[in-house]
Amino acid sequence: MLDTVREIETPEGVSLRLRAAGPLPRAQAWTIDLVVRLVVLAVAMMPLSLFGIGGRGLAMLLMFALTWAYWVVCELWLDGQSLGKKALGLRVVNADGTPVTWLPSVTRNLLRVVDALPGVYGVGLASTLIDAHARRLGDIVAGTLVVHVKEWAAGQQVPAAPALPLPLPLAAEEQAVLVDYAERAGQLTLSRQEELANLLEPLTGCRDTAAVSRLLGYANGLLGRP
Amino acid sequence: MKQARFVAMHVREWDSLQAWLGQLDRQPKRSMRQEPALDFPAAYRRVCHHLALAQGRGYSHEVTDRLQRLVQHGHRVLYRPPPPRWHRAAAFLVADFPRLVRSQWRCMALAAALLYVPALALLLWLQVHPELAHTLFSSARLAEFERMYDPANPHLGRSSGTNLQMFGLYVFHNVGIAFRTFASGLLFGVGAIYVLGANGVVLGGIAGHLTAIGYGGPFWRFVVAHSAFELTAMVIAGGAGLQLGLTLLSPGRQRRGPALVAAGWIGAKLALGAFAMLVVAACIEAYWSSLAALPDPLRFGSAALLWRLVLAWLGFGGKVAGHGA
Repeated sequence: MLDTVREIETPEGVSLRLRAAGPLPRAQAWTIDLVVRLVVLAVAMMPLSLFGIGGRGLAMLLMFALTWAYWVVCELWLDGQSLGKKALGLRVVNADGTPVTWLPSVTRNLLRVVDALPGVYGVGLASTLIDAHARRLGDIVAGTLVVHVKEWAAGQQVPAAPALPLPLPLAAEEQAVLVDYAERAGQLTLSRQEELANLLEPLTGCRDTAAVSRLLGYANGLLGRP
Repeated sequence: MKQARFVAMHVREWDSLQAWLGQLDRQPKRSMRQEPALDFPAAYRRVCHHLALAQGRGYSHEVTDRLQRLVQHGHRVLYRPPPPRWHRAAAFLVADFPRLVRSQWRCMALAAALLYVPALALLLWLQVHPELAHTLFSSARLAEFERMYDPANPHLGRSSGTNLQMFGLYVFHNVGIAFRTFASGLLFGVGAIYVLGANGVVLGGIAGHLTAIGYGGPFWRFVVAHSAFELTAMVIAGGAGLQLGLTLLSPGRQRRGPALVAAGWIGAKLALGAFAMLVVAACIEAYWSSLAALPDPLRFGSAALLWRLVLAWLGFGGKVAGHGA
């Protein structure tokens, strides 16, 4: 429940990392969608009112489209994002991580009725809190998932330094930890860098600034830089 | 191989794929005509291979994160849904939808019984005990029905409004009810059962009351044609909800999750078919049923034709000739 990442293996044998979106951003996206639709309806009512009583029929048709068709049309043509979802950086995808197709989209949006049931989305809220991937009932039945679009922050570059050979052989995980340290060094304060580097005094044989630069040298050597 | 060498070998390929994917988001049509589009599936699979190698060799996040992002973007493009084909919609309505309805005939029969049995029972009961109408409906609603179907009313089936207005109203109202009937079936079928039963009671109550007080003529003349599509679509939407609820209760030889997904997709298709039927019904109701000047033989003849058309369509649509036995 705390870890919302869902790993999905693709046919190519690598795994996608999808981060399920919880109830709060989805509620915000829904609110934006609601406002957008109300504005569209209000704007369209001005010319429609000129048609007199027949215009009321057209307004009904528009209301029908905004209530039921809006979601499906947005999800199919805007790459799984209604306007609110686009604003919040969310996307609807199939359970296997592929972009949402029309049948799951229709299913999840018809079943919105059940999720919306007591008051405003009571069932949907309970379902998103219980489900491991924060799916509402419509998502579970349709086989879809709402995920965050925004990617992870990319790893920092290892600061360039003259490469040094390791004084003694290290296991693969130990090497990975060393490179991780060098990647994160740019985000740490100088004293914290030194504090961490001092833990490796048996390896580096020195302390403080010298130790930090030595570790960066080892990391550069491990990455194969000159 | 050290990371720096690996990156130096492949970085140009990654850069070009990333550039093309970025351009695809901005100008989809133009990018698809360019040369990288032809090479894209192969390039994407090579990058997947690079990611697997990078993870296997324990390269730093600088490389793996970048490749991971590239793969996620490529996956989204490679596996995007095909563009909609409109002739598939026609094929669905002509053949697939009737087949689907027949394949769910048990739920459809149950839904039809839930709608028609209370309706017919009330219709007959009200002929014997007409005073029961006042316990079913408030007197304001009864007065409204009586005004709509008053033989002295020049409009048929409505107290006011133009054809277009009534068309919009019928679509909004009836399709909304049909969709809700289907969706509420997810509550273990209870919602669908309630909506079908309640609609049966209301229909039977109105029909019985109006027939009993002698307003039956305008009422039956108004509803006889479009009810072929409207009532059948309600039964189908209800049946779709029932099969969803029954699948939740007893998924059979599947696990509940996959069974529910399959039932949800079947139900969504049925609901879409019901939607098409209700739009047709709304057209007939607004533009044909309300014509007060239609002579009775034409009116009832066309209604009989429509009923037969609907039943034949659902009964035989999509059957492959000579495939039987």
